Amino acid sequence: MTENEPASGPREVRLRDLRPGEGPVEFVARIVTCDRREVSRKSDGGRRALLSGLLSDGTATVRFTWWDPPREGVERGLVIRAVGPEVGEYRGRTEVTFGWKSRVGPASEVELPAVDPAEVPERKVRDLAPPGEGFRVYVRVVRVTERSVSVGQERRVVYDGLVADETGTIGLSAWTDFHLRVGETLEITGGYLRAFRGVTQLVLDERATVRRVDRPELPDPASVLNSPPVTMAQLEERGGGPSASVEGLVVGLLPPSGLVYRCPECRRGTQDGSCRVHGQVEGVADLRARIVLDDGTGAVTVNAGRAETERLWGVTLEHVLGRLKERPDPAVWEGELLETLLGRRYRVRGPASHDEFGVTIQPESIEAADIDLDATAERLAARVGGGRP
Amino acid sequence: MTHREPAWRVAARELESSFEEERGAGERSASYVLSPFGARMNRVLLTGTLSPAEPIGKDPAQPFWRSRLSDPTGAVAVTAGSFQPRAMTQLRSSSAPRSAIVVGKVHLYKGRDGTGYLSVRAEGIRTVNETEERAALADAVRQTLDRLDLLERLASNPAVTSEELMDEGVPAHWITAARESLLRYPEADRAQFRGELRAAVRRVAGVATPGEAPEPPPTVQIRRDPPPPARAAPSASERAEESLVLEFLDQVAEASLDAYADRRELLARVGSRGLGSDRAEEVLTRLEDEGVVEEPIVGKLRRA
Repeated sequence: MTENEPASGPREVRLRDLRPGEGPVEFVARIVTCDRREVSRKSDGGRRALLSGLLSDGTATVRFTWWDPPREGVERGLVIRAVGPEVGEYRGRTEVTFGWKSRVGPASEVELPAVDPAEVPERKVRDLAPPGEGFRVYVRVVRVTERSVSVGQERRVVYDGLVADETGTIGLSAWTDFHLRVGETLEITGGYLRAFRGVTQLVLDERATVRRVDRPELPDPASVLNSPPVTMAQLEERGGGPSASVEGLVVGLLPPSGLVYRCPECRRGTQDGSCRVHGQVEGVADLRARIVLDDGTGAVTVNAGRAETERLWGVTLEHVLGRLKERPDPAVWEGELLETLLGRRYRVRGPASHDEFGVTIQPESIEAADIDLDATAERLAARVGGGRP
Repeated sequence: MTHREPAWRVAARELESSFEEERGAGERSASYVLSPFGARMNRVLLTGTLSPAEPIGKDPAQPFWRSRLSDPTGAVAVTAGSFQPRAMTQLRSSSAPRSAIVVGKVHLYKGRDGTGYLSVRAEGIRTVNETEERAALADAVRQTLDRLDLLERLASNPAVTSEELMDEGVPAHWITAARESLLRYPEADRAQFRGELRAAVRRVAGVATPGEAPEPPPTVQIRRDPPPPARAAPSASERAEESLVLEFLDQVAEASLDAYADRRELLARVGSRGLGSDRAEEVLTRLEDEGVVEEPIVGKLRRA
């Protein structure tokens, strides 16, 4: 019995085709995330440097571990060529390790495999579920907003949006500026999926390719945003969604609602003048309402911020602060807020997340809703029988 | 999953007709009142005319107030005590009848002879205008009719699966409730009840006057159930267990700030005297059934 050594050097592969135990390989990929640390050896207590993170070449993303990496110059975005890595598997996912047997060095962008969009399968929005990548979707941009986040030390701009095809909508989070504009129809490849609070998101970073295409059959933004409300029971069964629309009556408030104090550093709510992260702080007063909206089939929590709370309540933060001397107890204000809102009918739209406590909506709009009593009475009369009311 | 209980939209008549209940098994599980018309209610949202509140209960330290909420189909008692301070303030806030929306928990008290007293313990109350009242009543009638249609479908075709119904958008818990209603109220007259909703529809249309039930309804609705089967007289050893539990209940209650005995603490104490928690739960259940001990707040016990 002899082992068949390949006559030539390592095969060049794409990450998608990487399998453990198939002989020496080499590939070109981009470092998507990386994290440097040191581990101690048990035997002699010596320190050993280690770099780990994710690699992608547009066909797949794999986790990598790099023992004794160069001291500097290896960072997110760098394209590398790896020859002879160890290929393993953990929980069904392929992983690579660069050790003393591997040769790893910088490579150029152009060496990255060209991924023809036609090569990856087309998926419909309805069928997108994490973990997933190596697919192509055709969508219309329904909404896009810019927000700034801190990642470690660094501030970055994220483009949050909502995209739709004829099967549904999905939230989009782009870490690179693709100059997305509402109404455009796109072909997206190289995106990946992740679950954020139970809701699937499409994430685009520098690996993704966005191409403007002509797809007039995709639903237009207005029809997506003005979709009729679903029942709360349906929303609970679906586990939320990127753009939910519901209508119901206020049946309660969850704490904390009304007058709250926030940490000046991180805006988390303070408890007894103390922030979970920053300790003892001088809390900044704010108004909010965690509204329980119920339509008889189920209930959702609607988190209203200061502006919405003031509008619905008809009471401003200044007014509350001005009367704090006579009414210092936040519970009294919460009680007044509940007495104002209870039983009011609202239509709420926004992304709905789902956790063990049920569905929560971060509202993009909260509008008072009316029903047409005459038409309703007529319909009901027909159903109870016995002639017109 | 600790799902929030939805507020069932029901007319007063449906509550008047309900006398079946489901007690939650565990310490924190919810209990439900089951109606003949497909509602399995822990929480409800009601609308109608709320009468001025009157005080009930003897203990001035534990104020408890009761009003009557009437809609065109019937009336139901609405209560609030010191554990619902805001609702109690709201309940007491008016000396004249007014239109209101009430959100609260359904409570069914059954006396020893099987007489049921149904009331709604208010969590929130707001005085509303006529349009809001008619709109909320419209929701109640519409959802009641939806539930009646569901019951007719299940009654005429028991083979229809929950999956099929859910695909049509029927909430899963409505299907559970409807099947249970059919089982527990085989004699329910749904056609008659459908007819009784006409008065509510007239109110939605703005024709009928608000909440004028045909005759002044009683403050509590009384139903006769078949009396529960007589239980064998407890043995001497069971009596001994009962007195142990009661003795510790008094001790724990005495030591606590709110004068209630914490259920868990009580179980731990009697456990240390060799009465296991399963056995102790049985004894407590018996004492509660006999009306010796009550649990006005979940996990908090006192002598009745």
